[in-house]
Amino acid sequence: MIDAVAMTNERNQMFRDLFSGKTPKRVPISNPATQDFAIQYAGLDLAECQWDLTKLEPVYDKFCQDFITDTYPGGSIRIPSHYQILGSTPIVMSSSGFMQHPEVVGLLAEEYDQFIASPYDCIVETILPRLYTELNGEPGKVAMALAKAMRAHSDDLAYLGTIRAKMNAKYGYAAMAGALTEAPFDFMADFLRSFKGISGDVRRYPDKVAAACEAVLPLMIKKGTLPNPSMLGYTFIPLHMAPYLRDKDFATLYWPTFKKLVETLAGMGQNVQLFVENDWMRYLDYLYELPENTIMRFEYGDAKLVKEKLGDKHIISGFYPITLLQTGTKQQCVDKAKELLDILAPGGRYWWQADKSVINFESKGPVAENMRAVLEYVHENGTY
Amino acid sequence: MIDLQVLTQAVGDLDEKAILTMIDDFVATNPSGEDAQEVVFACQQGMAIVGELFEKNEYYVGDLIFAGELLSKTIELLKPVLSGVATQKVGSIVIGTVEGDLHDIGKNIFGSMAEAAGFDVYDLGIDVSPSAFVEKVKDVKPQIIGMSGVLTLAIDSMKNIVKALNEAGLRDSVKIIIGGNPVNEDACKQIGADAFTTNAAEGLKTCQGWVK
Amino acid sequence: MDSKYYVTWEEYLAEHPELEGKPIKAIAPKIEKYEDAVFTFIMDLLL
Repeated sequence: MIDAVAMTNERNQMFRDLFSGKTPKRVPISNPATQDFAIQYAGLDLAECQWDLTKLEPVYDKFCQDFITDTYPGGSIRIPSHYQILGSTPIVMSSSGFMQHPEVVGLLAEEYDQFIASPYDCIVETILPRLYTELNGEPGKVAMALAKAMRAHSDDLAYLGTIRAKMNAKYGYAAMAGALTEAPFDFMADFLRSFKGISGDVRRYPDKVAAACEAVLPLMIKKGTLPNPSMLGYTFIPLHMAPYLRDKDFATLYWPTFKKLVETLAGMGQNVQLFVENDWMRYLDYLYELPENTIMRFEYGDAKLVKEKLGDKHIISGFYPITLLQTGTKQQCVDKAKELLDILAPGGRYWWQADKSVINFESKGPVAENMRAVLEYVHENGTY
Repeated sequence: MIDLQVLTQAVGDLDEKAILTMIDDFVATNPSGEDAQEVVFACQQGMAIVGELFEKNEYYVGDLIFAGELLSKTIELLKPVLSGVATQKVGSIVIGTVEGDLHDIGKNIFGSMAEAAGFDVYDLGIDVSPSAFVEKVKDVKPQIIGMSGVLTLAIDSMKNIVKALNEAGLRDSVKIIIGGNPVNEDACKQIGADAFTTNAAEGLKTCQGWVK
Repeated sequence: MDSKYYVTWEEYLAEHPELEGKPIKAIAPKIEKYEDAVFTFIMDLLL
């Protein structure tokens, strides 16, 4: 029986040190698998357990028991109930039981001016009713749908929160708060204009794209603000569209408001974690400009070069290829962890996380065992 | 008289205004089907330039998507003057994002590039079951099947689809190419596909090689 | 944030003079909390 309170204090200190650029006593680790994985790992039905959350406590207990980690595991979660109640089209459960984001268009090109004039008005009046079918109808019905959805979501989060509190009390995880936001350009792309739409907008109406990003920036800042800036935690920003843009479009349309977002949040005293998705290797010099101790988790790239260019100013994470857990032997998986430790740990500012989330579990597959071995290895050998 | 070289270059430059102006003016001259075919061919050559610039890292995925859109628009405008002419197709491909997966950006880029290159493309959409693939193959008898997926569980779905094609006695009549983040040589072998790609332009080259 | 769908406490108070003399210190944080709760919920639907 571990002293969970002591463990939490120790882990909190590790992360406080890490986030402020000091070197913690060892490399912190985070289990890359998600709630989806945990449910399958427990042998339960994926779709059912996302609806009936009462099934999740033993799922998390087994998950926490079997995989060592410093932070509460589970990853970002999309709980289906409120999406179903709202008639969601941008987030749906596929036949496989995984919540996914098919390509949708929330904002038409001709509506840019309306959006720029007041983004929040446009969101409420035009975008949400277009994307969420139950928000498009008679006022009474819409009001009820919103009320039910908020209540369902709030109840779900509260329930998951009670499980989290129990696991924290039992396993002593770091107590970290989180906020989620996006770079304005990504926000314009993901649910509003779509990947295809914004690709055309960048060519056809770059001025409107730029103006929309500026207009929505205050909302993205507000969204990313933690209840208390000095609390242990971070604002999480997944980065999407930059790798698909030409350099000059990145420079004029993506970078300016993204930079302002990170600077404003950091200026409030908050930590910012970027999930640097896909290939940002041509943008490393830009990333260097961001406020000191920005956490950067890389999906892809040259770890040596990243450490060299960014490692003395920023906190580096990621790179560990989860596909190796599927295709490699246990030894190969552990060797890879060692290789990355040797590159990224020296000098500090390194947090062990994988290149992306592990969402799928196969009972006959090697992933669980390999992942367990890697996490244990880094836990025992992760020194700076 | 439309200058086909200028048109090709305009497509390569992704100059929407220039392209649409030229096409509108061309259609207004009430051209013959054969002349319209030449215009389509010039556009296809322009798309080949786009592909080359992509490989050189001057264009990126966003530009490929825009190119696909421009080409669709152009073909739409030319349809009235193309009808009645048997458009030369180099082959046909059935594509789809496999069961369990809802991602389609890459598939769509590949689909529009393949169409631009003269393939008949039958797009089954997303979350496509093995039986849907089998039915379509029976129906249109394509030379090639393209399976796409972003999640690693797509690998399993791709295996199931190849299995279904085997069981229906259709596997030997098609070439199979797989695309998406999780595909690699190992996956290709496991699945029983003929080729794999994470790059639409490269995948297209492979398909063109198969139908020569 | 300039929107007819988001009201700051000061704006709300200006529209609700009946709250004068009532325990503002207890009311204000609660009114703000639910304004922000809806904001977070709505924005999360687009993230």
